[in-house]
Amino acid sequence: MARAGVFICHCGSNIASVIDVEQVAKSAEQMTGVVYAATNKYACSISGQEMMKQAIIDHQLDRLVIASCTPRMHETTFRKMLGKTSVNPYMLEVANIREQCSWVHTDKEKATAKAIDLVRMSLAKVLKNQPLFTSSIPVCKKCLVIGGGIAGIQAALDIADGGYEVTLVEREPSLGGKMVMLDKTFPTLDCSACISTPKMAEVGAHPRIKLMSSCEVSAVSGYIGNFEVTIKQNPRYVDHDICTGCGLCEEKCPTKLKSSFDQGLGQRKAIYKLFPQAVPAKPVIDAQHCTKLTKDKCGVCAKVCPLGCINFADQESYTTDTFGAIILATGYQLIDWGSHYPEYGGGAYADVISGLQFERLVNASGPTEGKIKRPSDGAQPKSVAIIKCVGSRDVAKAHGYCSRACCMYAAKHAHQTIEKIAGAQVYIFYIDVRTPGKAYEEFYDRTREDGAVYIRGRVSKIYEENGKLICKGEDTLIGKQVTVEVDLVVLETAMEPAANSGQTAALAGVSADKDGWLTEAHPKLRPVETQSAGVFLCGTAQGPKDIPDTVAQASAAAAKVLGLLAKDELETSPMISAVDTSKCSGCRFCEQVCPVKAISMIDIPSIYNGQKVKRTVAQVNSGLCSGCGACSAACRTGCIDLLGFTNKQILEEVDALWQ
Amino acid sequence: MAITDNTNFEPKILAFCCNWCTYTGADLAGLNRMKYPDNIRIIRLPCSGRVNPQFILRAFQKGYDGVLVCGCHPGDCHYTSGNYFTRRRFLLMKRLLEFAGIERERFQARWISGSEAGKFRDTILKVTEEIRALGPNHRMKEADIYD
Amino acid sequence: MTDIQNILRERAHALLDEGKIACFIGWGATRFNERAMPKFIFKAEESSSLVYNEHCLNTLAKYTLDFQYGAEKVGLATRGCEARAINRLIADGRLSRDKVYLLGIPCQGMLEHGKPADKCVFCRHRNPVVYDELLGEKTIELQNPPRFESVLELENKSDTERYDFWQKQFAKCIRCYACRNVCPACNCLECYTEQYRTGWQGKQANTLENSVFGFTRAYHIGDRCIECGECERICPMEIPLMKVNRKLVKDVEELFGVEESGLSEDEIHALGSYNKEDLEEFM
Repeated sequence: MARAGVFICHCGSNIASVIDVEQVAKSAEQMTGVVYAATNKYACSISGQEMMKQAIIDHQLDRLVIASCTPRMHETTFRKMLGKTSVNPYMLEVANIREQCSWVHTDKEKATAKAIDLVRMSLAKVLKNQPLFTSSIPVCKKCLVIGGGIAGIQAALDIADGGYEVTLVEREPSLGGKMVMLDKTFPTLDCSACISTPKMAEVGAHPRIKLMSSCEVSAVSGYIGNFEVTIKQNPRYVDHDICTGCGLCEEKCPTKLKSSFDQGLGQRKAIYKLFPQAVPAKPVIDAQHCTKLTKDKCGVCAKVCPLGCINFADQESYTTDTFGAIILATGYQLIDWGSHYPEYGGGAYADVISGLQFERLVNASGPTEGKIKRPSDGAQPKSVAIIKCVGSRDVAKAHGYCSRACCMYAAKHAHQTIEKIAGAQVYIFYIDVRTPGKAYEEFYDRTREDGAVYIRGRVSKIYEENGKLICKGEDTLIGKQVTVEVDLVVLETAMEPAANSGQTAALAGVSADKDGWLTEAHPKLRPVETQSAGVFLCGTAQGPKDIPDTVAQASAAAAKVLGLLAKDELETSPMISAVDTSKCSGCRFCEQVCPVKAISMIDIPSIYNGQKVKRTVAQVNSGLCSGCGACSAACRTGCIDLLGFTNKQILEEVDALWQ
Repeated sequence: MAITDNTNFEPKILAFCCNWCTYTGADLAGLNRMKYPDNIRIIRLPCSGRVNPQFILRAFQKGYDGVLVCGCHPGDCHYTSGNYFTRRRFLLMKRLLEFAGIERERFQARWISGSEAGKFRDTILKVTEEIRALGPNHRMKEADIYD
Repeated sequence: MTDIQNILRERAHALLDEGKIACFIGWGATRFNERAMPKFIFKAEESSSLVYNEHCLNTLAKYTLDFQYGAEKVGLATRGCEARAINRLIADGRLSRDKVYLLGIPCQGMLEHGKPADKCVFCRHRNPVVYDELLGEKTIELQNPPRFESVLELENKSDTERYDFWQKQFAKCIRCYACRNVCPACNCLECYTEQYRTGWQGKQANTLENSVFGFTRAYHIGDRCIECGECERICPMEIPLMKVNRKLVKDVEELFGVEESGLSEDEIHALGSYNKEDLEEFM
């Protein structure tokens, strides 16, 4: 026979002023299964807890109903208390008689009657509770960081400095991401490469960071603390174990191509480093353009290499490793504006460039050595139009969201133009100017003082006339058409999730929103966690943001990972699904509705018509199961059940008031 | 069937609420000292996706006059997709119940987030009044059939 | 039909003779002229006892479950209803396709008490949707049979009329569970009704428990019913079970756009999937 104890909390006067707690206790005492009922001034207080602990001993209680505030408040407190008694912490139900009774009702009689009902329901449930036990899973003290932009770099360094091993996977041949392409960063105008390349070098040299460039994640299995990750190494055709990065091969390679790092404005070779300060500082071969690999001609690099590092037969290879945590820092790319904006020439005019191209033009290590020149003729533009929100805040053509960083770098581009070209005229077309950041508004003000002309309105058309670019638009503040004639147009284009970031995230069980940005667990309170336990995210993978926010988020994700890796074992909630395999038909309905892929099918030995057979049944991965119970509601037989919220417990709760 | 005067009738309504949104919203209603009728009894579940449609039948069978299923708004599910399944299950179940002859107001579903204390209160007010107007449920009710 | 009967016997004979199958499931004669019954043939020479005529009312597919764990295949006479039932069993993880050899039969519809059988007049798949070989030419399918007419008729009545209708029907139920036992979608290893420890519902055969069973069963097969009509045909108390089954089939179609069940072995179940844009008519 069950020996339940019922405790009714006064919560000072919070409960007792509306509910006759003594009456509730008196009624509870009469209920089947209850051996002791009492009231308690403050159940959550030390003395209140001591009183309940003593009652457990005195009355040999084996389960408790505590009628108090919401279980969301003190269920954990009371479970911890039970952990120090002979009663299993899960042999407890909390009846919510404060938030959902005394605080919302005024009629004392009715509120008391309702409180008795709520106790009766909790009692009905607790009588069917089973002792549950937490189990623990070991934590592999290694973290995988996917993406080697500033977010991934920062997160990797923070975790490695914290004392744990990190593997950093980057798809490109070098770390750096987008930040290293930029010239100066707003609002301080410090050189982007000067502040990011030391961090890259630090990653490259860190004893606890394994850098895997030209690599991609191809499969993820397992769960928090124990992810099995398969990483694909794309062929580099250069043995990085031997290569010293002397650069002879790159110098002698006869094939010249447009440099993607320079956004097509500069050139590189078919064997190349992404940029001079690349990490690793060793070249790779571009297999699509190397004449040795495409036509079996040339091979100069192999001939000049003093160490014989070149291997034209290099193949992709796979490695598998175990990690305790994963950080997604897959970053962004810029919208292919040409296909969305034919009215801006769709890419036909060489002097209509993107903001990132402008960054390369104005960069001292860029293709023009920092001189702003028109791509078409190399002439110095005397007038520049900057157009914001190209692809952002434009539901009709591209994306509805704001790309957040463009207002500021548009101001920076204007400032740089005015600074570098004496007498230059700069027009900025905008919808709004958004400067929510430290010293951002002041920077914008300075840019206007410098002489940049802000015109509120979208540009509807750009065309070429007599070697000039004509931008037509509306100044919505004065309600008139405006036409400006300029030498160069800079489009501040929208950020988009990096190509394939959604697929990579899906491997780790993380979903993306309608625009493709990865979804955090809670937008306010769990901004760097995801629905997949042990998988975190940071930077622009989660949504457009600028560098300070990206770095802050990266460190936040690193802090989360450090907290996780600091544990030797993780306690798993015992309130998860369990399968009664003797009844399971293997219909897979539970598998279909499971949000975390915790259910899989397994063959078990069985007897059928006197013969030994194999029967397929469902099994639950206790490390993955998040305890939502969707499987249980989908199971027709009811053979998969959620511990702590079993079908029987819920049915008893439904029946409780009607016995 | 006895004719009842519905003005003195106090319906009993059962609500299945998910822990992360509606139950939290109900707690917030309490925190804000909002007032609503005491006819509601809440069963807390981790997710509205945990609600087996058979629980609804059982509630009517035992004597509840109305049943409510509440969860997070679509897209906000703590478990990502639970309430999308809930929506399908109860779209179908609701139509089935109506086909079986249960009045449409007796079973309802609502999305109420953790911050929508006002919506929680308004829902309880509205549902209670609708069911009060209908009178006690005698359909598929155990006591009535055994009596 | 005699042609099909001959080919059926011939092929069953050959398959058993070649050892391709261990058993063939078809129909056999009874001592009544207007009835046929399921027939299980284990020897090639018995195949002459197979019949195929307008009285082959039983949908045979569920019998294959008896062979699901065997090493050998089982042959099955497969019309539209059997074919969809086979897909149903495979989709529900109860049977694997390589356990069955399907002799497809284009069906012309069966007779029951001298009239076209209720289960056949609304059939939209007289030709099997899956088979290993097809015996004979494909037949012409019925164009839009009014499957939902009787559902609509009841839908248009008042709550009270609907309630009274069903209470009257379920008052007749004797809880023999024949509907469940014959249903290809009711293929759980153990039915929820037998989970006494959980106590989903009472065992009593009274109107209330009967209707709880009736509606729960309908809901359980709601997105998976293949409309074979066996439950209604088999019901000794003549409860119009297909009316509630078709109601759910109709709603699944209207609400989720999932047209019919059992058309393929890897179908997505309406309640095992979702669309973010699903209706919210209860809001």
